[in-house]
Amino acid sequence: MGPAMVLVLVFFIAPVIITFAMSFTDLATSTGLSNWQWIGPENYARIFRSQFWLPILGNTLVYVAVVLAFNVIVGLGVALLSVHMEPKAGGVFRALWLLPRISPSVVYALMWTWAAASPPFGMLNYVVAPFGLEPRYWIQSDPWLIVIFINGFVGASFGMLILTSAIKAIPEDLFRAAQVDGASALQVIRRITLPLIKWPILFVLVYQTMSLFASYEYIYLTTNGGPGLFATETWSLWAFHSALSNYYGNLEFAYGAALAAILVIMGLGISMVLLRVFRFGQLVAEPRVEVE
Amino acid sequence: MSKQPSRGVDLSAYRVSRRRFLMGTGALVAGVACSTTPVSSATQAPAASAGTLEMAAWTIGPDAPSYYRRDNLISAVDPLNKALAGKPTIKLDATFESGGQWGDYLQKFTLAAEAKTSPDIILAGHENLAPWVGPNYIIPLDDLIKKYQSEGDIKDVIPNLWNAMKLKGKTYGVPQDTEARPMYYRKDLLAKMGWTKDKIDGLPDAVKKGDWAWPDFVATAKEAIAKGVVGPGMGWYTRTSKGADVYMFYYQNGGEMQDAATGKLVITKDALQKHYQVHADAVRNDKILTQAIYGMDGKIFDQTVMDGKVLFFNAGTWKWSDWQTTYKVPAQSLWDNVGFMLIPAAQKGGKPVTVSHPLAYAVTSNAKDPDLAFRLIANATTPDLNSRHSVTSAHLAVLTTQADDPTYKQDKFLLATGYMLDFTKFIPNHAKFGIYDDVLYRFLGAVEQGQVTPAAAVDSAVKELQGQIGDELIVK
Repeated sequence: MGPAMVLVLVFFIAPVIITFAMSFTDLATSTGLSNWQWIGPENYARIFRSQFWLPILGNTLVYVAVVLAFNVIVGLGVALLSVHMEPKAGGVFRALWLLPRISPSVVYALMWTWAAASPPFGMLNYVVAPFGLEPRYWIQSDPWLIVIFINGFVGASFGMLILTSAIKAIPEDLFRAAQVDGASALQVIRRITLPLIKWPILFVLVYQTMSLFASYEYIYLTTNGGPGLFATETWSLWAFHSALSNYYGNLEFAYGAALAAILVIMGLGISMVLLRVFRFGQLVAEPRVEVE
Repeated sequence: MSKQPSRGVDLSAYRVSRRRFLMGTGALVAGVACSTTPVSSATQAPAASAGTLEMAAWTIGPDAPSYYRRDNLISAVDPLNKALAGKPTIKLDATFESGGQWGDYLQKFTLAAEAKTSPDIILAGHENLAPWVGPNYIIPLDDLIKKYQSEGDIKDVIPNLWNAMKLKGKTYGVPQDTEARPMYYRKDLLAKMGWTKDKIDGLPDAVKKGDWAWPDFVATAKEAIAKGVVGPGMGWYTRTSKGADVYMFYYQNGGEMQDAATGKLVITKDALQKHYQVHADAVRNDKILTQAIYGMDGKIFDQTVMDGKVLFFNAGTWKWSDWQTTYKVPAQSLWDNVGFMLIPAAQKGGKPVTVSHPLAYAVTSNAKDPDLAFRLIANATTPDLNSRHSVTSAHLAVLTTQADDPTYKQDKFLLATGYMLDFTKFIPNHAKFGIYDDVLYRFLGAVEQGQVTPAAAVDSAVKELQGQIGDELIVK
């Protein structure tokens, strides 16, 4: 327990404590590390005085829920498809889906912004033209669509990798026995595959939920929280904008820390709910052999 | 406490005792410490050898032709070294960032200042200096300005520009350059609409006198679209992202941004609503401005306006040079096809406007010798050095003596835009200006996108700013 506790304390607990402590100060560029003061819960009061905290919270929940669904459903779908292909074809198929993940974030986001640029420049407009869609500046007219796809494709590849490994780890005997019993493909997936990969699905769900709560880089690089009034601003992007990105140079570290502290509480709450829903305790319980 | 039962796998080979873990971690930390040069001692050592003072300066464009912001400091080293006669000898490491983002540059300086590794001299926008005063990242220059009046040409800085360098009565920067933000127009497109050459060439003067005002501007842009001279939404292109230009239309309608007596930020509600209405009408009612302007890629903006597809467009004077160097538009083609004027007055007989954003050299509190850092800046502030920067980058003069400089006098564009400084305004020097700007800019986007009406935007923006800035905001 000793070394593990040291690592957890230094890299997980201490940053959270520092973040919470900082959130009760006025630390900013204009104070520096030498002139800051304790100001109590003023940063939290300021957050809830803003008329945008509720829409931004709504954005965050929508973003996490929709992208998470995309990640898990598409990731599972790609995993199931690829394991049912010829091994070589399955490998190529999975490699293609990995491209968004292995591309550097900035390059991947720039490719999207160029593809979705305003007419007549965006390539996307030429792709959708045969379907009768009017050319448009997609990032502005449909910002959520862009945000969901750009994040969804990256996340789906993660789900695909984990779930493919999990499916391949299921003993072949079970599938053969099901075939002998005349089970259809759908019945095999429903009765054998899904129950046996419940634990990896839980892992993907919890891990991706936490990742999405904290992630903002693709939104920052494409819509930057806009257009207009925080249309695609999520809580983590709000924290980033406040603490680390101000056009005129006054970074509000403490205000950003207060936003991040709320994010930590939200993340913990949702993790607890997910672990209870999936009965985490039972999943990791000691296996029991029952003798009749 | 009982131990976990083994599940049939022998894990003992993977276990590390507490002692071994601590010893290993200690050895790793010691190894890393020994292999890394301590940053503070490497960067803060005053001089590598006796009689030499190593100084550093950071500058930025981000427009590529503004490299003299760095090179003028380098050129100032020789005259200063001559004056110092080797006591000490200055060595300067100066950098210039091109093509990057202001925000990243400012953040880099902030982090360096906090780590006590900032350069001796930093170049920044005048309003960037305000947040750096509280934590003493930069030092006041008033005593140095008095002490070294005879160095370089400090005494001939245009007086109005010193005002933009002040915060609470103290001066924190030396003006490096300034500019104006004209309304550019396509002469070729106006000719297609049937305008005579005299009328086209007389447009800047008509705007300057207040004879040709905003309603005329809108009517002309609408006519160009109706006649098919430009496409829908291409009568006028504004700035595509945050920046000082945004406030030209607020000032155009009588807005105030800072209270002279208290230094507090100011919102003039009536002017703000008119500012928002100008953009709402342009995008949604008159359809002279495309909704896609908000967040449009800067390269697309430049390419489109240089292709002659937009009748009126806003950009800084420095773009005149950038279009020639980056977009390879011949100078003669620009003169033949593009004109420039002030932002027309809101109504006939009113006063036209523009906004300037002077950049400044500041001395940091990390400077090894603040006197010498200031004297280097002073020696970089001369008519010939400032003029070569002005001519290369299309920035306006900061010295009264530049008007007589042969290089400056030969530049037709600078001479033709110089009068704009008589009509110019500045954005405020205030530590909370970033919050103010963020709220007003987001509501501007919301108005353009049709998410909110101008009147509702003003009410919400004022309420938001009162909640965020509190006593530092005056609402008029």
